[in-house]
Amino acid sequence: MAKNRPIKFRLLELFSDGESHWNSEVVKKVQAEYGMNSNYGRDSINFDIIELAAGGMLKEIDVKKDDDGTYKAGALLHKYVITDFGKIRAGDSCFFKK
Amino acid sequence: MRQNEHKKRVRIGYLMALFCAVLWGLWYIPGTTLWVLNPFDTMFADLATIHGDSVALVITAVLISAFNALTVIIALMVWNGGLGKLKEMGRTVRELKPCTKWYFLASIFGGPIAILGSFIAMGFVGAAFAAVAALLYPVIGSAVSYKWLGQKISKRALMGIIIIILGGFTIYAGGLIEDLSTGGGSLIGYIGGIMAACGWGIEGCVAAKGLDVSEPDIGITIRFLGENIIWWVIIIPVLVLAGFPMFTYAAQIFEPMVMLALMIAGITFGFCYVAWYKSFPLIGVGRGQGIGNLYGLFAVIFIFMFFGTVPEWTLILGGLLCVVGSLVMFTEESLELQSIRRE
Repeated sequence: MAKNRPIKFRLLELFSDGESHWNSEVVKKVQAEYGMNSNYGRDSINFDIIELAAGGMLKEIDVKKDDDGTYKAGALLHKYVITDFGKIRAGDSCFFKK
Repeated sequence: MRQNEHKKRVRIGYLMALFCAVLWGLWYIPGTTLWVLNPFDTMFADLATIHGDSVALVITAVLISAFNALTVIIALMVWNGGLGKLKEMGRTVRELKPCTKWYFLASIFGGPIAILGSFIAMGFVGAAFAAVAALLYPVIGSAVSYKWLGQKISKRALMGIIIIILGGFTIYAGGLIEDLSTGGGSLIGYIGGIMAACGWGIEGCVAAKGLDVSEPDIGITIRFLGENIIWWVIIIPVLVLAGFPMFTYAAQIFEPMVMLALMIAGITFGFCYVAWYKSFPLIGVGRGQGIGNLYGLFAVIFIFMFFGTVPEWTLILGGLLCVVGSLVMFTEESLELQSIRRE
C-alpha cells in the first residue's frame, strides 16, 4: 500500500490494477485516505492526475459531463487507464523496492 | 469542451514558463544590486587585492549564491505552508530513490555547476558572454529530454527554441563581440560558459524524473534544500578551511538594504523556479526551457527600467526575435501535446 507515500505514488498504485477508473472516483478515494476533504484538496489531487496524464503515465479513454454534480457540477469527468510507461514508472520508482 | 480543458492545461504550462521568465528577468535587479552593497562590495575589493579580480569574483559569488539559496528556501517554505503541502513534502522527501535523489542531483547541476559556471564566464570573459552562454541551455535541455526522457520535440517547438536563442544572441551581440575581442582567450571562462548551459539544461531533465511521480511545488523545495546543503555544508566550510574569511563577511548582512535585496532576490528567484518546475510536467522540458529563456529579454527591459541602461538597436531586434519564437511555440496545435511523451 502506498499510504503515507506521496499522492502521485498512490494514484499510480490505484491505476496499477490495469482497469480504467473515473477521476471522480479515484480523487474521492484519495481525498478520504489523505484527509483532504476540501474542494481545494479535491482539485489539487485532480491536478496530480492531469500531470500524470500529460507525462504519458495515464491515458484518457473516456469523458462525460458531471450532470448530477456528484463530483463537481458542470465539470468534465475523465476516465483514465495506466499506460505501459506508467507501469514502468510505477514499478521502478514507487513499488516493489522495499 | 474536452479540447478546451486540454488547451487550458497547455496554456497553464506556457503561462508558467512565461511567469518564470518574467520573474527571472526581475531577479537581475536585486541580483545586480547585491554586488554593490556591503558586505559583498568590500568583500570583493578586499579579496581582489590579495587574490586578484577573478578569484575574488568567484568567491564573492559563492557567498551571494549561498544567501540567495537561503532566502529562496524560506520563500518556498512559506509558499508550501500556504498551499497546505508540508505533509506531502514530508512524504515526498522520504522517498529517497524515486524523488529526493533526482532533486538533489538537479541541485548539483543547477546550483554549483550552472551558477558558478555562469559567474566564472562573467569573471574570465565578460557578462554578455555569460548571458549568451546561459541562453543556450534549452538546446541541451531539449536534446537530453528527447534522448533520455523520450519527450516530444516537434519541428515547430524546435524552430521556436532556435528563434528565441537567436534573439538572445542578438540582444547580447554588441557585448559578446567586445567580450570576445578583449577578454577572449581565457579558456577557463569558456568552460564556465559550457558549465552554465549544460548545468541548467540537464537540471530540467534530471528534475523531470522526480516530477513524474511527485508535485512540482515540493520538488523545487527539495531541490533548494539540496542547494543549501551544497553551499553551507560543503563549499563554504571548504573555502573557510582554505583561508577565505567567509563567515566574517556573512555575519555582516544584517543591514536593512542588504536584507531587503536578499529577500526580493529570494522571492523572485524562488517563484521563478516554482513556475519553471510547474511547466515541465505540463508542456515538457524543452518547451518550458525555451519559453523560460525569454528571461534574457525581460532582464534587459527591467534593467533599463530600474537602472536606465539604454538599450541599443540590437536589443530591439533580438527582443522581436524572442517574441516571434515564443509565438511559434505558443500557437502550436495543443492536441499535439496530449501527452508530452513520444509514442
